[in-house]
Amino acid sequence: MSDYLFIQSQDPFTEVRCAAQYRLARQLREAGHQVAVLLVQNGVVPARRDARDGAFDTLIASGVAVSADGFSLKQREIEASDLKADVAVGDVGDAIDALLAGAKVIWN
Amino acid sequence: MNNPKTLTFAFMDPPFESERTVTFFRLLDAALERGASLRVFAYEGAVALAFARQSPHGNAVHGRDAAEEDHPLTREWIRALQEKAAAKTLSFEWINCGLCVDERGVNEVIDGCGRGGPPDLWRYASDAFNTLTIGTR
Repeated sequence: MSDYLFIQSQDPFTEVRCAAQYRLARQLREAGHQVAVLLVQNGVVPARRDARDGAFDTLIASGVAVSADGFSLKQREIEASDLKADVAVGDVGDAIDALLAGAKVIWN
Repeated sequence: MNNPKTLTFAFMDPPFESERTVTFFRLLDAALERGASLRVFAYEGAVALAFARQSPHGNAVHGRDAAEEDHPLTREWIRALQEKAAAKTLSFEWINCGLCVDERGVNEVIDGCGRGGPPDLWRYASDAFNTLTIGTR
């Protein structure tokens, strides 16, 4: 079993490949790996409570730990209270912690 | 600091173009905050991040001179990270891909940034505790 952290900078409203990226994260979890996703830049946009993207909602319902970079949220005037229930507020430092813990960290 | 872990970053975005550049520098800063030594392999447009002749400019549209505009320069961000690493007795190495430098004519780089090639990325990644590649899609 491996630990994975995906740094998700792409958003599903401008990048069709996001659906496949979310699916990979979900399938890795289903295969028994520890998987987390850190949303950064425009990657935080689908985490807004009223954003509609089925692939993203399937991801957060799958048990993959999803957090959104607080700096990226602030840049876009998204408050923590605006996020979907299963999305936490994180920081890019979380990616460094994962690297230092030996996780496989992948930039999307 | 005793035997800090070393992280390697590979980055290819040019300065002043992409939000990825800001995120990349935030990652480097966070790594130093956590006591990691750093090795950066800059290639493609990223070799201009350390270009010594970057100049700040004013913003006539907004009526601000260069001092008021306080335009951020990536060479100064690199310098700040070098100083931060030194203050924490961490190592901070930066190598630009030489072919990419020559293509762009950005040979004049700030002190502490060197010139190399893909074998340096291989060496960096092989020696590091972990590596993150930030690709441009």
